Amino acid sequence: MTIEVRSLTKVFEAGSRRNRRRIEAVHDISLTVGAGERVAYIGPNGAGKSTSIKMLTGVLHPTSGTANVLGMVPWQQRRALTRRIGALFGQRSQLWFELTPRETFRMLGAIFDLEPAAERERVGVLGELLDAADLFDTPVRSLSLGQRMRCELAACLLHEPSILFLDEPTIGLDLLAKQRFRELLVRLNEERGTTVFLTSHDVADIEHVAQRAVVINHGVVIYDAEVAAMRRTLLATKSVEVTLAEPSPPPEMDGVIVTANKDSSMSLVVDTTRCSIRDVLDHLLGRLSVTDISVTDPPLEQVIAEIYTVPRS
Amino acid sequence: MRAVTATMRAAASEARANPGAFWSQLAAMALNDIVWVIFWALFFNRVGTLRGWDQSRVLLLFACLTTAGGIVLGVLSNARRVGELAMNGGIDAALALPVPPLPYLLVRRIDAVNLGDLVFGFGLFALSGSPSVERTLIYVCGSLAGAAVLAGFLITVGSLTFFLRRSEAGELGFHAIILLASYPVDIFAGVTKVMLYTAVPAAFVAAVPANLIEDFNLRDALVLGGVAAGFAAMAWSVFSLGLRRYTSTALWTRA
Amino acid sequence: MNARWPWVSVSSAARRVARDRGQLLFAAGFYVVVASVLAALWRAATEVNGGTVAGYSGLQLTWYVVAAEAVTIALNTRLIEVIGDDIASGAVAAELLRPAPVLGVRVCTELGRCLPRLGVCVAIGAVLATTTAGAPPDATALALAAPAVVLAVFCNLIAQHAFAGIAFWLRDARSMWFLYHKLVFVLGGMLLPLQVMPSWLHTVAAWLPFAAMAYVPARLASGHVEPQLLLVQLWWLGVMWWAARAVFNAGERRLQVVGG
Repeated sequence: MTIEVRSLTKVFEAGSRRNRRRIEAVHDISLTVGAGERVAYIGPNGAGKSTSIKMLTGVLHPTSGTANVLGMVPWQQRRALTRRIGALFGQRSQLWFELTPRETFRMLGAIFDLEPAAERERVGVLGELLDAADLFDTPVRSLSLGQRMRCELAACLLHEPSILFLDEPTIGLDLLAKQRFRELLVRLNEERGTTVFLTSHDVADIEHVAQRAVVINHGVVIYDAEVAAMRRTLLATKSVEVTLAEPSPPPEMDGVIVTANKDSSMSLVVDTTRCSIRDVLDHLLGRLSVTDISVTDPPLEQVIAEIYTVPRS
Repeated sequence: MRAVTATMRAAASEARANPGAFWSQLAAMALNDIVWVIFWALFFNRVGTLRGWDQSRVLLLFACLTTAGGIVLGVLSNARRVGELAMNGGIDAALALPVPPLPYLLVRRIDAVNLGDLVFGFGLFALSGSPSVERTLIYVCGSLAGAAVLAGFLITVGSLTFFLRRSEAGELGFHAIILLASYPVDIFAGVTKVMLYTAVPAAFVAAVPANLIEDFNLRDALVLGGVAAGFAAMAWSVFSLGLRRYTSTALWTRA
Repeated sequence: MNARWPWVSVSSAARRVARDRGQLLFAAGFYVVVASVLAALWRAATEVNGGTVAGYSGLQLTWYVVAAEAVTIALNTRLIEVIGDDIASGAVAAELLRPAPVLGVRVCTELGRCLPRLGVCVAIGAVLATTTAGAPPDATALALAAPAVVLAVFCNLIAQHAFAGIAFWLRDARSMWFLYHKLVFVLGGMLLPLQVMPSWLHTVAAWLPFAAMAYVPARLASGHVEPQLLLVQLWWLGVMWWAARAVFNAGERRLQVVGG
């Protein structure tokens, strides 16, 4: 196993001396990840995602429990481990703000003991792989967030890590940049066999990147399954919002529930196991005078609420 | 070693990224230091000699202080920001690299403003320190030892943030040691003076090196070297212990 | 116009600072260090000089130092830089949309922030001077020092707004605060009484506004009954207010022309 976690717990102590609170950020988490897997570790803000990933990368020391990443205990063998993993923390830049990515790569190359020639070659390969070669000579401060994240990714892939840890990598990116970033992660995994472990609070990250999803809430793993299985159960519904030119009667279809129909706007929930989203759209566009339509995934809160009601498979 | 030079080279190009600001800040600091020289000139013009300190010796003290301060606050500028980094998660990036985090953080940032101190310190010693080979050697070694004491103290008080979860103690420690080191240590008496040789080792940052340049004696030189090594070791251990309690801002973002 | 804004600005800012105990403790600790160092320096100087320096005794110099440091440490040292950043970032431009005058609200808010710190520093300073050197040298002079302390802080922060206004044109007031503070330190008499200076420099310093910001309250606290010094402060307060107004008005016009 590439990552093996057993009963990992982290307790923070907060507040003043008189009024000390214990916050259990991560409670008794156990999981294993095999080589080459793409795992999404998701949960709402404050669920303990970042704390978990920071323990797995050796940044934080756990209160109790064990973890083994590539045969090492992260917080005890951090320096040896950093040579074999890449870590991208969405909010903390590894790139230097005033320098160009290439200059930072040169410094990181020295830190990771890469020969200058090997480092240059690797940067060339990454530029092509991440479609970012033209960004490497622009100072980081002049890059857009999406461009910067691609360069950040290059920075943590410089030493060819076998596992890539990403903490909220898509946060703040626009839709297009998110989609592009997700595709890169999948490509990296498929072409290089890099294990990808990412945290997110965005349901779309599960669908577009992961083969397996681990859901954490209040520091506890509440769900751990293949995304394909999840798609059949928890992600089986889509919300459809329709704006109409004039008020119309709602469609009557098997697997479609109308949650609101007032004036000229209509909200539907579609169970995609019983009725394809395409049929629903054909039906709506064919029969009604639609002026606007949108299809969205259920929000994470709703997925989590459902996890608590649906029995585990 | 290659990692250290590569990091310092990157830090230097970062500091020079805005050349206009770089030179104006450097000049502003040198100007700031000149004001202190004026102050001491006015003071000794009126007072004469003060418990063994006259104008030339105070200028030596000031040359040692600005040199040591320039090294620590200019070249190793994160030494004074350990508390801030511990508070706002600034150590994460260093922990993702296969290097010991403290040395990496220290060489990671150069402050142009305080490089002005370093330049000023050299200039002041050259002009008013009557440099001979022997005196210059003592000045260089003394300033390096003073820098080690200062850096060790700043990292130690900064690392207290890991335990106290507040950075005020570190901030106060920084201002206090710089201020106390700028005055002849012999104006103090009793407990205060003892403190300046122990808990807040301001005397070793500049006064002891300055005295060694004027009248060298082996005993004081050895004590200075020992204190420098001691504070460096203390900084290392307090920082390492604190790192186990590092929270990477998990506490603050969860509020 | 709503005439309550000055009081609201002062009192709400004061309450915020008073509640932040960490910051107050920091100011107090810093003040104790600075005041002790300078008091020790001057007492040592009087000892080797046969009891007085430039007409001040050790006791008087101690009271001089605690007053001079209190009025300077009560202020945010980086105020000029902060105002400059606010101008450059467009925060000031946004304030133009409010019904109350930009400069007035800013000065009042800043005064409110200073007052709790000033109170803490003055109280500590009085204890420090009394225990280390002795009771205040003159009661009348001390009574005069009380308003002078507030006037000094007020005058100083208005002047800082005038200086920081340069950011309307330069977009960077960073180097200004260095220069400004050094002027207050030396010519304002924070580090040394004006009488210690050679007579020509003493005369120059006495004619400059910086003396109103540190020297005046310190001179009074050191036991010199010189009520005319309060008039000097009021005069500079007026001049600085006029200057700050002129700078901000010109700056606001510039913002409206070239954009924030």
